[in-house]
Amino acid sequence: MELTAVGKRVSKKDAPSKVTGSAVFIQDIALPGMLYGKILYSSYPHARIKSINTAKAEKLSGVKAVLTGATIPPFKFGVYKDNPPLKTGKVCCLRDEVAAVCATDPETAEEALGLIEVEYEELPAVFDPLEAMKEGAPLIHEGHLGGKEKKPTNVLNLPWRLLAGDIEAAKKEAAYVVEGTYSTQWVTHCCMATSGCIAQFDTANNLTMHSNTQIPYLAQRDFIDAMGAFGYKGKRVRVIQSAIGGGFGSKLDTYAYEYIAILLALSARRPVKIVFTREEEFLATSPRQCTVTRISHGCTKEGKLLFRDIEMILDNGAYTSWGATTPSVMMLPISSLYKVPNVKYTAKCVYTNNTYSQAMRGYGNPQATFAIESSLEELAEAAGLDPYEFRLMNANEPGETTPQKFKITTCGMKECMAEVKSRLGWSGRRHEKKGRGFGMACLVHVGGGARVYKSDGCGTIIKVDDYAKVDVFTGSSDIGQGSETVIAQIVAEVLGIPTEDINVINNDTDVCPWDVGVHASRTTFVAGNSALGAALKIKQQLLETAGQALEEDPSGLEISQGVIFARHNKEKNISLGKVLRNAHYVAGGRMLMAEHFYDPPNENFDREFKGNLSVTYAYGAHGVEVEVDRQTGRVRIVNYVAAHDVGKAINPMLLEGQISGGGVMGLGYALSEKMVYKNGRLMNANYLDYKLLTAKDIPPMQAVIVETDEKDGPFGAKGIGEPGLVPTAPAIANAIYDAVGVRIKDLPITPEKVLAALKAKEKEGGSV
Amino acid sequence: MKQELSFFLNGEDVKVEVEPQWTLLHLLREVLGLKGTKEGCGYGECGACTVIVDGKAVNSCIFPVMEAEGQTVTTIEGLLSADGGLHPLQKAFVDHGAVQCGFCSPGMIMSACALLAENDHPTEDEIKDGIAGNLCRCTGYVQIVEAIKSAASGR
Amino acid sequence: MVRYEYYKPGTITEALDLMARFGGEAAYIAGGTDVMVLLRQKKLSPKALISLRNIKDLYLKNSLSIGACVTHREIEKDEYAKKRLSALHDAVCSLGSPQIRNVATLGGNICNAAPSADTACPLLVLDAEALISGPEGERKVAMDDFFIGPGKTALRKGEILKGFSLPVLGDTTGSAYIKHTRRNAMDLPIVGIAVRVTVNKSDLRCRDILCGSAPASEILSRFADEELRCEDVRIAMGVVAPRPIRAKKAEGMLAGKVISADGVAAASEMAASESSPRDSVRGEAWYRREMVKVLVQRAFVKSIDRIVRPDADIYPDRLW
Repeated sequence: MELTAVGKRVSKKDAPSKVTGSAVFIQDIALPGMLYGKILYSSYPHARIKSINTAKAEKLSGVKAVLTGATIPPFKFGVYKDNPPLKTGKVCCLRDEVAAVCATDPETAEEALGLIEVEYEELPAVFDPLEAMKEGAPLIHEGHLGGKEKKPTNVLNLPWRLLAGDIEAAKKEAAYVVEGTYSTQWVTHCCMATSGCIAQFDTANNLTMHSNTQIPYLAQRDFIDAMGAFGYKGKRVRVIQSAIGGGFGSKLDTYAYEYIAILLALSARRPVKIVFTREEEFLATSPRQCTVTRISHGCTKEGKLLFRDIEMILDNGAYTSWGATTPSVMMLPISSLYKVPNVKYTAKCVYTNNTYSQAMRGYGNPQATFAIESSLEELAEAAGLDPYEFRLMNANEPGETTPQKFKITTCGMKECMAEVKSRLGWSGRRHEKKGRGFGMACLVHVGGGARVYKSDGCGTIIKVDDYAKVDVFTGSSDIGQGSETVIAQIVAEVLGIPTEDINVINNDTDVCPWDVGVHASRTTFVAGNSALGAALKIKQQLLETAGQALEEDPSGLEISQGVIFARHNKEKNISLGKVLRNAHYVAGGRMLMAEHFYDPPNENFDREFKGNLSVTYAYGAHGVEVEVDRQTGRVRIVNYVAAHDVGKAINPMLLEGQISGGGVMGLGYALSEKMVYKNGRLMNANYLDYKLLTAKDIPPMQAVIVETDEKDGPFGAKGIGEPGLVPTAPAIANAIYDAVGVRIKDLPITPEKVLAALKAKEKEGGSV
Repeated sequence: MKQELSFFLNGEDVKVEVEPQWTLLHLLREVLGLKGTKEGCGYGECGACTVIVDGKAVNSCIFPVMEAEGQTVTTIEGLLSADGGLHPLQKAFVDHGAVQCGFCSPGMIMSACALLAENDHPTEDEIKDGIAGNLCRCTGYVQIVEAIKSAASGR
Repeated sequence: MVRYEYYKPGTITEALDLMARFGGEAAYIAGGTDVMVLLRQKKLSPKALISLRNIKDLYLKNSLSIGACVTHREIEKDEYAKKRLSALHDAVCSLGSPQIRNVATLGGNICNAAPSADTACPLLVLDAEALISGPEGERKVAMDDFFIGPGKTALRKGEILKGFSLPVLGDTTGSAYIKHTRRNAMDLPIVGIAVRVTVNKSDLRCRDILCGSAPASEILSRFADEELRCEDVRIAMGVVAPRPIRAKKAEGMLAGKVISADGVAAASEMAASESSPRDSVRGEAWYRREMVKVLVQRAFVKSIDRIVRPDADIYPDRLW
């Protein structure tokens, strides 16, 4: 039967509320009696807190509570549980929270901050992970012991290590080997809406958090833990999400400001709202993990990849958030991008007095893919092979199991590559002619959930009313990507009713079933399958009830356009509404409801970081034509093609939005975005000096959808949220090399770097 | 010291007491309760606060409230038709996937509105010029440009 | 929040009186795109703001002068500015965003005196003069003397910049401003170069080469073949010194001579040596100096293009 809802370009369900300005973001919410909280940050990157005097601040009219680390119960949050919401004893970076106030209006709260007197004793600081690893380097956390000798150290006890095959033998066997060091910068999410929350208690001390989190249930768990530490064990925590003004991973962890809001609300006995200013958003949210990568790549004489040996040092900053776990995702392309039988990967995370990183779209994949795909082209060149042919020779294929034990089901890598080649009009290399060149890069990412925690599940509850209007309660969240619309389409398709009749509720932990959160590009696959399962159960109930009314076997019935009819005789039919009212308004009647918790059949990593992390994997290829201005080093993107294997496009319009949006974010990562730190201080905490791309910067872009029909995905779909920016940077770096013969190994690729490289090349006598 | 301000807001006369140091954005959001216009940065660098004053798109976060005296101001709330129907631009944004998280949308639409009022058949480059002051992190601008193109040609 | 009174005088005299009354503890405000930001950053805490927006005299716009309160957007739409004051037109088109250009004024931006102010270099090469009104009367200051340093101008306490007077430039004079940025909107220049050239003839056989993507040096050689002479030239550079400056030695090398690729290249090198760029968050000194060399040549060619093909737009094929 032809699909009526799935595969259609359905408008995002909440778009009307957003274009009219009626959607409610956390910025827009005001609760009765609400106070405004503000945070005082450290003045030094590394210092002892000698004293904090809050007396003047407390006396300011309108101030209702003032807190410091000394006045709150001891509590630490974060991946490594090393981060207190208000610091005591010492500060370890410039974004450290030292004190907080709440007052009747934001200006008074700001004024109160100015009245808090903090005395610091500055300590020597370290801003380079390599320096921080040396003997005698200042210790960020004196009590942190590590290594075999359990000595105080800045190196975290997170020895990331992946081994597959026999790397030493492979190195000996390889005919061609290339080595290189690549580095990537801190960039930040720049969600258009800044972070914020409102903490509100009822008279029994149960907490409601109005939040723009993208992990409502994990946040709930974190807040429950915190409440226990604050002396309120066993209390309920409810997380209500406002409209979320951008996520991209920035809300994949809980932040100090959320715990501070809770503590302020407990102290003042009134709801407390904290919303970041844009400057705070730059300073105090956690950026993408920066990396320094040493890679060694080898292949046979014919060009078959033999080994990949990668070593990374990660600047962990002052505390530990998700950045320290990005190696677990970097392993994906390291072990499974192209067929490479022998793999070695080690990564060290090191404390410094810098900012600390967490999740950002791609979660390590863009960083690793930059090194891998740049290095791969160097290897192709060393082997004298065309880079496209080299990739094709080593391309992943359906049915293979990779060295990390990923079971590749569908794989549209080759199809994506072919799309890129034909749409760019690329028939071979253009050697340094008029400064134009072509480049490409591929990607692999999880596409069918990712078992990072013990559960990778999502629950859905569906209820149908007397008029065949459907309410779908899903644990998944919409952070702008359109998950609520995709879910509505899936349910609409199964139940044979219009998408407009489906209402999706996804923002209240009191009402919606559990979901692990919006990450790992899992929502279409996992929440989609969960909704599909619940919808099928509803469909079964509908057919059974209708079967009784029509005196037909349910297996012989179908639903279409709100009517249930017998397949063999369309005259025998009954409207959905009638079926529902007949079932309800009778003695012993029933309302139709169903639930389905879908936890995908994927695996946690074993001790060796191997296992089928996802049910299916998403592939893609990006290609780009660039023009390099040899005199200024400026790079212009002439043409850009992004081809993605999505399994099945449930909503092509929203999909294109993900690919375009991801692509432009990738362009910024490749060419212009960088958080500039000097001695731990962020120098460009504003939109003027942090170079996000504007509408005038976008190149001609083609978003290409390749469908490989993943049988375990809802209607064949897999994930797309993150892949959009994974291969952008290496594709551009490769194109620049093709155009002018210089390879930039350090992001972002600024005009300065290109010009400096061109001049260096000229000096060496190479033609430019 | 509060001063009285009179201006035309979304087609209606408004008289309100203001503090001279307020921005137009503060007046709209915090006093008049019109939450559709957003604060993205507070420095005139992102366009989320864009409203139309006297036919021109301006960043209301750095617009002194006192300069609104006697002016005609339109915010996103003023685009709906009398019967509550969507403005053609709003409909185009909905139909073309130009809305993801939606935080930039009101400002973006107001810039587009000002553009089309001055130039009802803009080229793609002119559209990009018109929204150059509106940042979007979600869409990559592609579908936004498509939406504005379609609204301009009346399709 | 800083609290202040807000005044809207209708004449320059009223404004000057108000400023005198506050003993200098007030600040003038025009469009507000700079002042409002400074207020928010707490870099300014005046007792009163004196708005200049309602003073009619500050809005005059004709071929001889531009009032200080004329917005960048108004200049953007001005056909005369596009043709005859092309460098200034280039600058206003590239400044900020449409929202900023709609309210930010030419005068306000200049008085803010950032070394990166886009309109500063064009006004320098167009031989503009600042018209000033103050408690002690009226005076004129050449643009070259108007900029003192970052944030500092020749305005004395209480004085108001009324506008700019400009000479009338003929059709053998062309100008251009190149703003070298990292992205195509809402950006400050890494380096900004303005050039104004007067030549001996506007009719060139080689005009079509300007439509292609030939490098500047090649185009200049073709000019040399036709003995195109540079009668007069001005070169101004932004973000390479504490204030926008003229490259007078470079100008001296070109004025009165037949144009040649080598000649312009040598002048560009000289201009670079006259600059003293610094390293900053926004750019590195060595790169800025390199860009002076490149952009002076390109702005030179662009200026002549405006003389030779006055009705055409710059071609899409070209990178600059």
